[in-house]
Amino acid sequence: MSRRTGSMGDILALLSLRGWAIVVFAFIFAPIVSMAAFSFNADRFPSLPWAGFSLTWYEQVFADPMIRRGLVNSLVVALAVAPLSTAIGFLAAYVDYRFQFFGKRLYMALASLPPTVPVVIMGVAMLTFQGRIGLSGTLFGIIAAHVVISAPFAMVLIRMRLADLGTDIEAAAWNLGAGPWATLREVVIPFCAPAILASIFITAAVSFDEFMIAWFISGQNETLPVRVLALLQGQVSPRINAIGTLVFTTSMLLVILAQALTFRSKAGRR
Amino acid sequence: MSKTHASYRADKRRFAVLIGAPSLIWQLVFFLLPLLFLVMMTFWSVRNFRLQPDFTLANWKMILNAGFFQSAYLYTFAISIFAAAVAAVAAFPVAYLISFRLAPAAQRMLIGLLVIPFFTSLPVRVYSMQIFFSPSGLINSVLAGLGLSPVTVLNTPVGALVGYLTLTIPLVILLQIFALNGVDRQLVEAAYNLRCGKFKTVISIIIPSARVGLVVSFALAFVFAFGDYISPQFLGGSNPPTLSILMADQVKSGNHWPRASVVAMTMIFTLMAMMGILLKFAYGRSAK
Amino acid sequence: MSVTILELDGVSKSFDKQSAVSDVSISVQKGEFIALMGPSGCGKTTTLRMIAGLEAPTEGQIRIWGRDVSQDAPWRRDTPLVWQSYALFPFMSVRRNVEFGLKQRGMIAKDRAEKADEWLARMGIAAFAERMPHQLSGGQRQRVALARALATEPELLLLDEPLSALDPHLKVSMQTELVRLHRELGITFVCVTHSHSEAFAMADRVVIMDKGTVQQVGAPQQIHRRADNRFVAEFLGASNILEVEVESVDASVVTAVSAIGRLSTPTPTNMPVQVGGALSMVVAMDRVEITKSPSGAVNQVSGRIAMLEVMGASITAIVETEGGVTLRSQLSSRDMESNPLTVGDTVVASWDPASAYFVAH
Repeated sequence: MSRRTGSMGDILALLSLRGWAIVVFAFIFAPIVSMAAFSFNADRFPSLPWAGFSLTWYEQVFADPMIRRGLVNSLVVALAVAPLSTAIGFLAAYVDYRFQFFGKRLYMALASLPPTVPVVIMGVAMLTFQGRIGLSGTLFGIIAAHVVISAPFAMVLIRMRLADLGTDIEAAAWNLGAGPWATLREVVIPFCAPAILASIFITAAVSFDEFMIAWFISGQNETLPVRVLALLQGQVSPRINAIGTLVFTTSMLLVILAQALTFRSKAGRR
Repeated sequence: MSKTHASYRADKRRFAVLIGAPSLIWQLVFFLLPLLFLVMMTFWSVRNFRLQPDFTLANWKMILNAGFFQSAYLYTFAISIFAAAVAAVAAFPVAYLISFRLAPAAQRMLIGLLVIPFFTSLPVRVYSMQIFFSPSGLINSVLAGLGLSPVTVLNTPVGALVGYLTLTIPLVILLQIFALNGVDRQLVEAAYNLRCGKFKTVISIIIPSARVGLVVSFALAFVFAFGDYISPQFLGGSNPPTLSILMADQVKSGNHWPRASVVAMTMIFTLMAMMGILLKFAYGRSAK
Repeated sequence: MSVTILELDGVSKSFDKQSAVSDVSISVQKGEFIALMGPSGCGKTTTLRMIAGLEAPTEGQIRIWGRDVSQDAPWRRDTPLVWQSYALFPFMSVRRNVEFGLKQRGMIAKDRAEKADEWLARMGIAAFAERMPHQLSGGQRQRVALARALATEPELLLLDEPLSALDPHLKVSMQTELVRLHRELGITFVCVTHSHSEAFAMADRVVIMDKGTVQQVGAPQQIHRRADNRFVAEFLGASNILEVEVESVDASVVTAVSAIGRLSTPTPTNMPVQVGGALSMVVAMDRVEITKSPSGAVNQVSGRIAMLEVMGASITAIVETEGGVTLRSQLSSRDMESNPLTVGDTVVASWDPASAYFVAH
């Protein structure tokens, strides 16, 4: 114990570590805090001191038909992407859990690698390909692309849950007369339910936030983040802060829900 | 009798195929096929602003020989390496503090905080940075208040760097924390016990033990920076342009998809080569 | 009146060319309690899993009621298993766990809830029907696992190390309960265990396995009287095994030389014995008598008490003989009272020739 009280140098080192951590956290969170703060600022030009509380920018956001359309498109896309990518991710996770076969590494690579390809390349690839098959500019085109990049997240989340499924549990179901489909439906899916719900929220958040691929392929059907990008190219507009804050709040709610669900399932398992 | 055996095996096989198919089909059609199509596209030609299937090396020759491509390539590569290095060095003390020096509750809370940026739109965060660093923005006001001369960050490589760090630092810290959490605490205790100082322990025990994770975090930071479009465009002012900007321009305004595809291919090759080298470096020496 | 319910006929199983079970043939009568016993890795659990259909035999046939089921899917058989880990469905209540098998058989909700409650009551855990498995103790989980397996009213119940995860004090009561259950239900139990005390206490017949093959099959008494080979004698543990060389053989008596002198036993009928042959002689520990002075009969060895191991009501005297071989004698506490022994005593160990027998090396 006495060793741990440390010397003057140790205390100084710890202090400077903490100081540096504060600087880095400030760098990370200042833009987020500023976004939220200036979204309620009455002044058009974001400068200090604060010009007073106002909901002007939120009103403007909701009054703008293009933003409204973007929001609707984003919601439609996210609502489709979440269940689709969760289903696909679940099946891929179950394949990894249950089967051994030739080429499994390749199969799993295909199921997990998409998020590591730079989105700008994905965007161009999707645009050229989807343009060729008449899919670009459609909401389904965006959904297809978003499922590609969100399914791996669902896969990882659900795979982690499956790792906790006791090795005998599935066999016990077979032993009691349940075939593979019945076992999947009545044992594996209920067991994974918390992770499945969590992945529905996470994939929805991933899709709702994705701007680069959508920017390339959305065409006339802009999603909300694509609209933000368009606004960003124009002049200074606090509406960006308002949208950002709305998107942030939505995403965080989804993530917190997902967290709460995984946490509750862990507590339940004891 | 043998028929029921055969049908049981067939059932099992059909079950496996039906379970395995959706992910395979979706990723083949909407992920692999577009990427392969992009490869093919590099050999196509554009005549009268129209794409034509072809087999020409003209796009490759044109892009690889173009001065604007070469300088953009070198610039993108250099600034991405630099950004990844800065991110790794800046993040390490924070990751070390969180992993080794804080109570578990504080550790969990800070990890939770670090997840937030992933769900906060990057363009919006970049917009905030634009405001901070604008000529009459917060940073310059503070500098003026201190009697210092204003700094120009926007539309310079430093601006792009700010963006890259905004993008990568939370990720790098998180990955470094996971890497450091994997370090055998007994090893560290043993080092202290042998009167190895804290700083020396970090250098000679902790960093070597966590090398794989640390290298992976650096590699991913590089990957993210190398492919990022938002930072060099909106904070760097595409001055000079990066490969991602070149690509987007070729597609969005030039409408020259084959050339954009060539740029994409050079990016993919570079990323694969870098990942290969870095992973070899990460795992290679650990055998000895 | 015995009817064969289950037959294993030359069953072998190998995993990646590694043999786990080879050429196992067992025939189980309806209503029997069979224990599969052996050290870990002997293939007993693989054999059980093959009966349940969780592994397919590489060779041989498994017949239930005379029908070959070896390649049938596990869900097409009626061979419920009580798992060592219990394998209760963690997200289902106790009642829904018990209902599971009935649901798969298409029973309607009301009937299966009734049936489940009936079995829970029978197992004495009716009060826990609404609980989740993780809220139960080990013994309670075991009962749920039994109720779940029995709810479909099978004719054959498989048990994989049913007592190994229980606390020692629960083991004995659960052991009694399993025997009672077996008697009441009149169905066939096939139980895997590594403990011979469990196997011998519960089973009508015991199958001893080692390295994937059957070493001996028989009633506990019979195996205890006479091990078929050295492995079984060693595995059961309660015997002295002496290396001997046969000196003479006649119609009724074999005389053999060992490190502790000349020993004799009746001539075995089940194995050839040749003069000069090297064999192992097995003498059960509870057959070795200890006296203070020699009586002049055969099979007497003098030595010194090296140690006294007290195990509850029985005491094992460890006698170091002059030949350097250690003999163990199991004595009751009554023996000890009538003939007190202390460490260091010079004694004579002896046994009735008829109680010793030979096994091959």
